[in-house]
Amino acid sequence: MNYQEILEKIKTKVEPVYAKEDLGVLNAEIKSSDIRTVLNYLKSEMSFDWLNFITAIDWIANNCIEVVYQLFSNITKDRVVIRVKLDRNKPEIETVSDIYRTAEWHERETAEMFGIKFSNHPYPNKLLTIDGMDSPLRKDFKCDDMKPLPKD
Amino acid sequence: MTQEKFELEKIATDEYILSMGPQHPSTHGVLRVILRMDGEYVIDLQPDPGYIHSSIEKICERRNYDQIMPYTDRMDYLSAVNYNWVYALAVEKLLGIKVPERAEYIRVILAEINRIMSHLLWFSAFGIDMGALTPIWYAFRERENLITLIEAQTGGRLTHNALRIGGVKNDLPKGFIEGLKKFLSNFEDYIDEYEALLINNVIFTARTKGIGILKKEIAISYGMSGPTIRGSNVSIDLRKTSPYSIYDKFDFKVCVGQNGDTWDRCKVRMDEMRQSANILRQAIEGMPSGDVMAKVPRVIKPAPGEVYEKVEGPRGETGVYIVSDGTEKPYRIKFRSPSFSNLSGLREICIGYKIADLVAIMGSLDLVIPEIDR
Repeated sequence: MNYQEILEKIKTKVEPVYAKEDLGVLNAEIKSSDIRTVLNYLKSEMSFDWLNFITAIDWIANNCIEVVYQLFSNITKDRVVIRVKLDRNKPEIETVSDIYRTAEWHERETAEMFGIKFSNHPYPNKLLTIDGMDSPLRKDFKCDDMKPLPKD
Repeated sequence: MTQEKFELEKIATDEYILSMGPQHPSTHGVLRVILRMDGEYVIDLQPDPGYIHSSIEKICERRNYDQIMPYTDRMDYLSAVNYNWVYALAVEKLLGIKVPERAEYIRVILAEINRIMSHLLWFSAFGIDMGALTPIWYAFRERENLITLIEAQTGGRLTHNALRIGGVKNDLPKGFIEGLKKFLSNFEDYIDEYEALLINNVIFTARTKGIGILKKEIAISYGMSGPTIRGSNVSIDLRKTSPYSIYDKFDFKVCVGQNGDTWDRCKVRMDEMRQSANILRQAIEGMPSGDVMAKVPRVIKPAPGEVYEKVEGPRGETGVYIVSDGTEKPYRIKFRSPSFSNLSGLREICIGYKIADLVAIMGSLDLVIPEIDR
C-alpha cells in the first residue's frame, strides 16, 4: 500500500487534521479524541500489529506538544506515523496501552519526560526519573549545572 | 510441642514483597525488580529501571550531528557498532548520502563481529546465572580474539566509535581479514562444544525447558524483538524482513525456536552465531575495493524533517528517531532500545514461576541496562 491508500482508509474512520508524506511514510495528524479509534482500526483491520514506540516533541515556539505514534505492519511492511498535537500547558490524552501493550512503558516514559497525562493508564508511576524532576525533555527545562569549562 | 503445630496448613502463607536488586548479580546491571511472592512463587512483579539514567537524548539535543556518534556507543556497550550504524543510517537518510560499497561491507563485518561478541558474553553470563562457572572461561577465549581484531580496526575494545556519517573511520588494518579467517576456520566447532557443554546439558535443560513460555501474540503486542521473539516461532529479523544496507546480498537463515520457552531463546542465540559466521565468510569473499567514506559536508545541516531507522541488534530492533529543524543540532532524538520493550513484557512470562526460574528468564532476555535507561 502506498501512503495515499492508507490515508484514504483512515479517512473512512476519522478526518485527519493534516496529512503529508515524509520520506515515503504517511504522517497523519489527528485530533486527540480520535486516537483510540484510529489505533484500534489500524491494528484490527489494517494489520498494523507493531508499535515501534511512542514519544513526544516539544514545539515550544508554537506552544504545543506533539505525541508521535510510530506504527509498523509485519505483514504488509507498511509504516505509518500518527501525530497528535496537545496544549502545552495542560497536555492530556487517553492511553492506548490496552490496544498495544508495549505502549504502557512508552507512555510512562513520555509522561514523565514531557509532563503529559495519559488518562486511564493502568500504572501511571514514574519509570526512569526520580521524584521532583519534572519533564526534563521539555525545551525550557533548566540545566543549570551544565556550564562550559573555563577556557584556560 | 504437639504434633499439629507442624502441619502444613498451619504454616503462615502470607504474601510478601521482595526487592530484587538494584545490586543483584543476576540482573546484569543496576535494575530493580519488585516482586510479590507467595513462598517461592512469583505472584506479581514490577521492574523498576532508571538507576543509571544518563539522559543521552537530552545531551544529544545540544550536540552537533557528528558529535553524537560516541554517545551512541554508551547505550549498548556490547554491540556499539549497531547503535553507531542505526544513527549513521538515519542521518544519511536525512542528508541523502550514499555510502560507498566497501564501507557497507566493513559495517556488516563489524556489526556481525559485535553480534557474536554480544552473544558470547550472554552465553557466559547466562551460564553463571544458572550456576555453571565453566562456560565463561571458554566463551571469553573466543571473545578475546574478536575483541583484539575489532580493537585493531577501531582502537576501542567495547565502545568502538567505529562508524561515521557517510562511511567508516578507517579502512581495515593489515592482517584483519587473515585474522578473521583464522577465527572463522574453527568457530563453529567451538559453538558445537558450547552447546554440548551448556545448552544440551541435562541440568540446564531441566531448568530451562518449559520455563517462561512467551506466547506469540503477547510478544508482538509488547514489541519484543530479537532472539526473544524469534524463540516464540515468530520469524522477524530486520536483516531479512526489512533489509537495510547490503543484507539482501547475503544468504543466511532466520533462526526460530518452537515453544517460546527459555531454552528456545538460548538455542536461537547459539544458532544465530553460526549464521553470523556464515555472513562474515560471505562478506570477506564479496568485499570490493574502493573508498570507505562518502563525500560529507563539513557542517552537517539536514533539511527540516524527520526520520526513523531501525537495525537488527543482538537484542532486537534498535531504532533511532531524529527530528531535524534545519540547524546543525537535532531538535529531538529518540532511541528505541530493544531491551526496553523486552523488559516491559517480563511480567507476562514470569508469573507463577519460582524465583530461581525468574533468574533464568531474565537471563534469557539478555538485558543491557544502560540501553533501557538511556
